[in-house]
Amino acid sequence: MTHLSVVWRAFQLQALLSRRSPAHLLILLIAPMQTTSLLAMTLHAHRPDAVATAVIAPGLIGLWVSSLDYAGRVVPEDQWAGRFTPMVAAPVPLTLVVAGRVTAVVLVGAMAFGESWLVAALGFGRVLTVRAPGVFTAAVLATCLASVGTAMLMSGVISLSRARDVLQNSLSYPFYILGGIVFPLTVLPGWVRPLSHLVFLSWSARLLRDSVHGTAHDWPLALATILALGTAALAGGMWLTHRLVNLARRKGTVGHA
Amino acid sequence: MEAAVAASSLRRMYERRRKDAVVALDDLTLTIAQNEIHGLLGPNGAGKTTLVKILSTVLLPTSGTARVLGHDVVAETKAVRSLVGLVLGGDRGLYDRLTARRNLLFWGALYKLDSRTVRRRADALLERVGLAERADDPVERFSRGMRQRLHLARGLLHEPRVLFLDEPTSGLDPVAAVAFRRLVLELRDEGRTFLLATHDMDEATALCDRVSLIDRGRLLLTDDTSNVGRILGDRECVDFVHEDDALARDLATLPSVLDVERLDDRWRAHTADREGSRRVLAWLVERDVLTGRHAQPTLEEVYLRTVGDRGMRV
Repeated sequence: MTHLSVVWRAFQLQALLSRRSPAHLLILLIAPMQTTSLLAMTLHAHRPDAVATAVIAPGLIGLWVSSLDYAGRVVPEDQWAGRFTPMVAAPVPLTLVVAGRVTAVVLVGAMAFGESWLVAALGFGRVLTVRAPGVFTAAVLATCLASVGTAMLMSGVISLSRARDVLQNSLSYPFYILGGIVFPLTVLPGWVRPLSHLVFLSWSARLLRDSVHGTAHDWPLALATILALGTAALAGGMWLTHRLVNLARRKGTVGHA
Repeated sequence: MEAAVAASSLRRMYERRRKDAVVALDDLTLTIAQNEIHGLLGPNGAGKTTLVKILSTVLLPTSGTARVLGHDVVAETKAVRSLVGLVLGGDRGLYDRLTARRNLLFWGALYKLDSRTVRRRADALLERVGLAERADDPVERFSRGMRQRLHLARGLLHEPRVLFLDEPTSGLDPVAAVAFRRLVLELRDEGRTFLLATHDMDEATALCDRVSLIDRGRLLLTDDTSNVGRILGDRECVDFVHEDDALARDLATLPSVLDVERLDDRWRAHTADREGSRRVLAWLVERDVLTGRHAQPTLEEVYLRTVGDRGMRV
């Protein structure tokens, strides 16, 4: 059995768990409401140029929430439920299991993109026309992949943290701002912008909006950056998960929640 | 033949903030032969689970070595993990919202079993542990005993040669516990080795070839289960039931009687030898006490005398 098969089985497990856990699907209830609010504000302000932002933002928020909140709970929930000990005792590295599971979690979040588009089309009669569909599709895929890497990183960071809830609750908004999800980074203070370049969401948000407007001239650089940041996050997440297991074995906290 | 488990001078300490470290295992040396059922007895906090965790690679020893079928638990973690099965007692440890079968399919993947193999083994194991009819029910609807059986099925999924069972029958009803013991004996006949950490003396007596008593991380004794009574000094005993304390006092004055003690539901006269026991039995019959019988200390008595009566303290 290959490592990829293990990831696939972990993915299937998480898909089943998410289907049976209404809390995991909450993001799909929230996304249409976010789209409605953002679109209503945009139309009320007579800003048709900002419709793309209003439709794309809930998708990116869905990805971020699933990476931060739900993916971050994967390992702590196994620890709390006493599944972590037999998992560590198995020959397959925990990183593969976490990778498969966070991928499933992120894909649930990605469904918010589709919902948001539907709400705009059916609810507001605003069909988002994409001028560069190829770039847009590539940007969505790259964003999802980067989200998997980031979810892996967040899972490691949150699992190792002693203040999990505080971390999960406090990391949402800063990244919406740094990611330029709800408004372009150009309206933010200048000193914030260099920091935002390290957040894949900022590249994704800009590339997605630009591909809708047909102005994504630097798309190869943006795509490469999204993938590079996602890969770096994935590597960091795998290292942290490995470290989590080793630390627990050394400190004797494998069975602790 | 290579030992199934060989631990040598094993020590495990737990560091604590601003307090002295706790020694959970202290210089423990233990060998378990292949195909043996070995009981690990001791009070709460004795170090039983710590030993099981070290041997199953989820905990690193502070010093000393441990090998499972010749593989070092620290240096050859991967090899050890494929050879051992860990069965922890309790309600937790499963995906409650998934069915028993789904749980096994996932855990099979962690042992690199392909889909076809894991499906075949899961069906066979669910049948074997009596859960075949509930295979497609969510685990959250299972009783504690059913969960326990599913834990065992999970531990057996990759066909390990050595199984570590930590309180495996806690929560099982008597019928299920007997069935569980029968299953363990069957599995031993298939060539597997068991290390059974338990508080249940009847279970240890019924199942184990040898037992080890540990307390405060130290190994107090290891012996054949059938010989363990000798540890109390080869003492002979006669047990009898009688209401009258005066009779017990009279019996204690006989030259062949070392002492007479009150147990929960009976008296016990300790004698120096078999002849002494014979005289005590005859003395009791003369006084119309027909409940007397020759006895040897049980495993429970050995345990209580060796570990001591510490009440609820750990």
